Amino acid sequence: MIAESLYRVLALARINWTLRLRDPGQFISYLLMPMILMLVLKPIYNRAFSGGTMQVVTGMLVIFSTLALAIVGTATLTERTWHTWDRLRSTRVTTAELLVGKALPIFVVLLTQQTILLAYGTLVIGVRPAGSLWLVALAVSAWGATLLAIGTAIAATVRSHGELSAICDIGALTLTTLGGAFVPVGMFPGWLQAVAPVSPGYWALSMLQAALRGNVPGTLLPATVLLTIGAAAGTYAIWRLSRGLGRTTTL
Amino acid sequence: MLRAVGLTKRYGDVRALDGFTLVVEPGEVAGLVGHNGAGKTTFVEIVCGLVRADAGTVTIGGRAPRSARGDLGVAPQHIALYPGATAREHLVLYGRLAGLRRAALAAAMDEVVEAMLLTDLLDRRAGLLSGGQQRRIQAAIALLHRPGLLLLDEPTAGADPQTRQSLLAAVRRRAADGAAVVYTTHYLPELAELGATLAVAQGGRIIARGTSEELLSGLTDEVRVHIDDKELRMRTNDAAKTLVDLLSGPHGSVHSIDIRKASIDDLYRSLA
Repeated sequence: MIAESLYRVLALARINWTLRLRDPGQFISYLLMPMILMLVLKPIYNRAFSGGTMQVVTGMLVIFSTLALAIVGTATLTERTWHTWDRLRSTRVTTAELLVGKALPIFVVLLTQQTILLAYGTLVIGVRPAGSLWLVALAVSAWGATLLAIGTAIAATVRSHGELSAICDIGALTLTTLGGAFVPVGMFPGWLQAVAPVSPGYWALSMLQAALRGNVPGTLLPATVLLTIGAAAGTYAIWRLSRGLGRTTTL
Repeated sequence: MLRAVGLTKRYGDVRALDGFTLVVEPGEVAGLVGHNGAGKTTFVEIVCGLVRADAGTVTIGGRAPRSARGDLGVAPQHIALYPGATAREHLVLYGRLAGLRRAALAAAMDEVVEAMLLTDLLDRRAGLLSGGQQRRIQAAIALLHRPGLLLLDEPTAGADPQTRQSLLAAVRRRAADGAAVVYTTHYLPELAELGATLAVAQGGRIIARGTSEELLSGLTDEVRVHIDDKELRMRTNDAAKTLVDLLSGPHGSVHSIDIRKASIDDLYRSLA
């Protein structure tokens, strides 16, 4: 039973991975843009405040990984426009298998993006990680899982690619700015500092910076908050998607 | 094999199904015809387990649709393919989802690829193929794992004659092997080619059910005779007698005689 389920999940993951590889435009875009911005903004950040290098690397990583919600959303929404989601639901595959098979390759994409940006931040921009690799891996995985859940929830809700694009762009820039990805939260006015924890970007930034500094408690608390947000978004997404994406739904 | 009894389904104020009943036996091809909005696709979605009926029951081989999906082969009305994946990748995906492995999968693929004339298209991406070629892939996916119930929802819409013929031949073979087939279409002559029994849907229910002979027996043939510059049209149960009666009397110069037997189209029009 489990072997059969795994076989189906791997079949789904394989086709989704193939589709990802054949359409890498968004991924390349969200990889190159932060690299360029890190390089350009590093001297400005370092002149503006202490810890500028850490800020520019983690800030750009959080901004552009959040923008990559569009990759998650597009991957799910296209299943609707292509009518493939309901076609797959007509097979013996379960909704859970469908979601895992769909999510696995996208999760790898998100992890790859963050890993490459952190490697670039270390080798080219000059961040000096003091934490263990495992702590950083935990932080990257927690943020990736959260983004995956939020992106799927958005895709299960919106009605068009235009809506998805608007929500991802506006939402990502608003939440990451509020979370301190552009400018450290400490430089915000008092009222804005009080609001900042509402943003998942705030917790992602805190977690990644703590992980790079080797601060275990400072990593685990934000990771827990993010995974809680992710669990809520994921539950909502599963509920929506299990009802289908076909003509008969109200999506 | 398929037993759907008294299905009802509402979407807001729209009653999509209203006591829809259809039973299809193993080896039977049931042609499901009806206007757009008659409930055909909603019925297919319920049988696929995609939509839950408000009332009524569906069983496939005695099981509920959700648990019988492994024995279901579906060619949906819409093209439901990944544009970026090849025909081969689609077949491998759906074969694996049906539980086929290595040798069994390869053998099943060989069979449907040949049946649906896909040999030259196997490694081309679906998004680059014509509508008819995409329909062939969908049909191949539906046939791949030799399901006991085939649900083909307008599988030849927009398809060329070659695609249509290859699909009809494949469906006939599967029915001969014992599969039950529900075949919805607006191309009524296809049903005659399939030797299908008919189920006419209207207003969310089946209003006529039987073999084409049974359903056509109550309809009249049409006789058309061109005499001089006039065309006479008569509906009759006995075309030969009508012609004899007409031509035995005084008449002008007969240019042509055309006898049109009652067809599924006539049945459809008479019921709709």
